[in-house]
Amino acid sequence: MLDSKNIEETVRDIVLRITRKPDANFSSTTGFKELEADSLDMVQILVALEDTFDIEISDEEINEVRNMGELVTYIGKKRVEKGST
Amino acid sequence: MIFKNKVALITGGSRGIGRAITIKLATQGANVIINYMRKREAAEKTAQKAREKGVKAHIIKANIGDPEKIGTMFDEIEAKFGRLDILVNNAASGVARSALEIDARSWDWTMDINARAALLCTQRAVKLMPNGGSIINISSLGSRMVLPLYSVVGISKAALEALTRYLAIELAPKGISVNGVASSAVNTEALKLYSKGLSPDKKSWQTTPVGRMVEPEDIADVVSFLCSDEAAMIRGQIIVVDGGRSLTPPDYIPLENNQEN
Repeated sequence: MLDSKNIEETVRDIVLRITRKPDANFSSTTGFKELEADSLDMVQILVALEDTFDIEISDEEINEVRNMGELVTYIGKKRVEKGST
Repeated sequence: MIFKNKVALITGGSRGIGRAITIKLATQGANVIINYMRKREAAEKTAQKAREKGVKAHIIKANIGDPEKIGTMFDEIEAKFGRLDILVNNAASGVARSALEIDARSWDWTMDINARAALLCTQRAVKLMPNGGSIINISSLGSRMVLPLYSVVGISKAALEALTRYLAIELAPKGISVNGVASSAVNTEALKLYSKGLSPDKKSWQTTPVGRMVEPEDIADVVSFLCSDEAAMIRGQIIVVDGGRSLTPPDYIPLENNQEN
């Protein structure tokens, strides 16, 4: 079972690993642009998040996500929808 | 119904060329397994379309750039179907960059999905084809022509074509045929990724001497033929489906439309 803190830690590990910025600042207001995530980074992040959390991420919905805080909230919501809290 | 009761796996089978192949094989009686990476809704829609043809359709989510995921996918196929008759290595990905801009991770991502996965899928598929089968690798003209921003994808397709020849010879004694299909620009969503590097004069790449662009169904028709008994003596070949596009310079105008000359 993953609570929101565990989700945040897992998201941070995935995002920083794939963007190759292990020491970058990761706060709820950090955006993908600040992490200089390119299109390949984004695809790899989405694939990793889907696999890790067993969810389906909609391109339309993820385009609305502006920062890491919203990303963590979005993943939590998707897990609730799927019934895997 | 030449493929009645056969089982076919189409990687990247939910959209574009893969979708057309899935529907074509289903129309000819094959039960289809649709692999997809992220677009579940598209996979489900394609599966439903296949079921309307009276066959079984099953979807499997797997990033085939990951060997572990390939293993899990084939474990599921083995458990559910027990065998495989047709494998279409169609899934492709890539990064639209010039050769000098390609970095190691872009190279790995593209090669892993477009070339290595075909090898790993084939190795598993062969074990499910004790009575023979057909394997088709989907390539493109970028394997032999230099297309803007297509560098690493073109290189991966060249590897895939070489793999096709090696596998064709190794697997011929097992009754498994291996061939490839390479096309010019095909009218799909994926084309948008690379079209920004192509000439603004769309006629130069959106038309062929036939007078129209290649459609996904054109590829699917050839895949179907290559999987049929009629193609039994075609081995290790890459069939070009381009309406003659690769035989002419880009500005070539067929004589009939060029009366001034």
